Amino acid sequence: MAVSLSKGGNVSLSKEAPGLTEVVVGLGWDPRVTDGTEFDLDTSVFITGENGKVINDSSFIFYNNKTSADGSVEHLGDNRSGQGASDDEQVNVKLTGLAAEVKKLVFAVTIHEAEARRQNFGQVSNAYIRVVNKADGKELARYDLSEDASTETAMVFGELYRSGEEFKFKAVGQGFVGGLKPLAEAHGVSIG
Amino acid sequence: MALTLQKGGNLSLSKTDPTLSKILVGLGWDPRATDGAAFDLDASAFLLAANGKVRGEPDFIFYNQLKSPDGSVEHVGDNRTGAGDGDDEVIKVDLSRVPADIDKIAFTVTIHEADVRKQNFGQIGGSFIRILNELTGAEVVRYDLAEDASTETAMIFAELYRNNGEWKFRAVGQGYAGGLRALANGYGLNL
Repeated sequence: MAVSLSKGGNVSLSKEAPGLTEVVVGLGWDPRVTDGTEFDLDTSVFITGENGKVINDSSFIFYNNKTSADGSVEHLGDNRSGQGASDDEQVNVKLTGLAAEVKKLVFAVTIHEAEARRQNFGQVSNAYIRVVNKADGKELARYDLSEDASTETAMVFGELYRSGEEFKFKAVGQGFVGGLKPLAEAHGVSIG
Repeated sequence: MALTLQKGGNLSLSKTDPTLSKILVGLGWDPRATDGAAFDLDASAFLLAANGKVRGEPDFIFYNQLKSPDGSVEHVGDNRTGAGDGDDEVIKVDLSRVPADIDKIAFTVTIHEADVRKQNFGQIGGSFIRILNELTGAEVVRYDLAEDASTETAMIFAELYRNNGEWKFRAVGQGYAGGLRALANGYGLNL
């Protein structure tokens, strides 16, 4: 049974999905029907080491860097309007393929040019981000962005982190001011 | 002191005031002085089912259809209630009577004959929507629309909606350049 992240807390994947090997992070929202610039939401993943910073610059997976060096994290493509049913953007994560030095994956969602466009998640209809067990399609956790991140423009959704032999998912659900660039820099990415 | 929302923000009415049952939705605006062509602004409400559309024409509450058949939503017209200052139009909602299959009520304002008169919301300032507790007269929440609407001729000011067994209020401030027709079509009404 999926855990709704609006309630907060951690999700023990060992209970929700024993033996988890692959997850899909899915981002979805409805295209804008009212007048104005489209809502362009973006998923990103930071593959981090012991210190919470990216292993290297290519460990920042987003629309301009879709595959990690070891191929274990793959962004399936940028959706710029929300057109389409179900998840509009997906990032595939093969947990078993992650190098030993990878301690944590941080999942984030941002609104493209939010400040210039004066947009926030509350203006978008039915925006959500979720983690799905690839093996059986079961949703492990979901965050309702439109409802619970309404005045935010960027958010750290959650973290998948190693705990001994297994992975655990920690719901974060915290807004981040400033957009993708400061979010990336906070995780140790140098933006040229 | 009343709470204010920014665009996109939402608030649980049930949590803010658990006694809320009958509310007044007050809408107001200050048209700026133009070349003399009158602004004819009309507030309306759309009762929407889970699919975001009206169930039929009776779900569109406006100056020619002031009351929903179940009596839950009533457009009071231009009457000033005296419960506060500045409301140009008031729509009453009895939350306990809203039909179970209605998930959301959208509160909208349209400019009559906007195309012909070459008017839009960019010319209109001071727009706001607020909720008053009908029993006590107290203002519960308010959303002041910023003056960044330009080409819109029909605006969704806010939405009252059900979420997890509670009534919530969301500040929308988005609209259509296509006027009442585009707005109504968006809600499944073909005018």
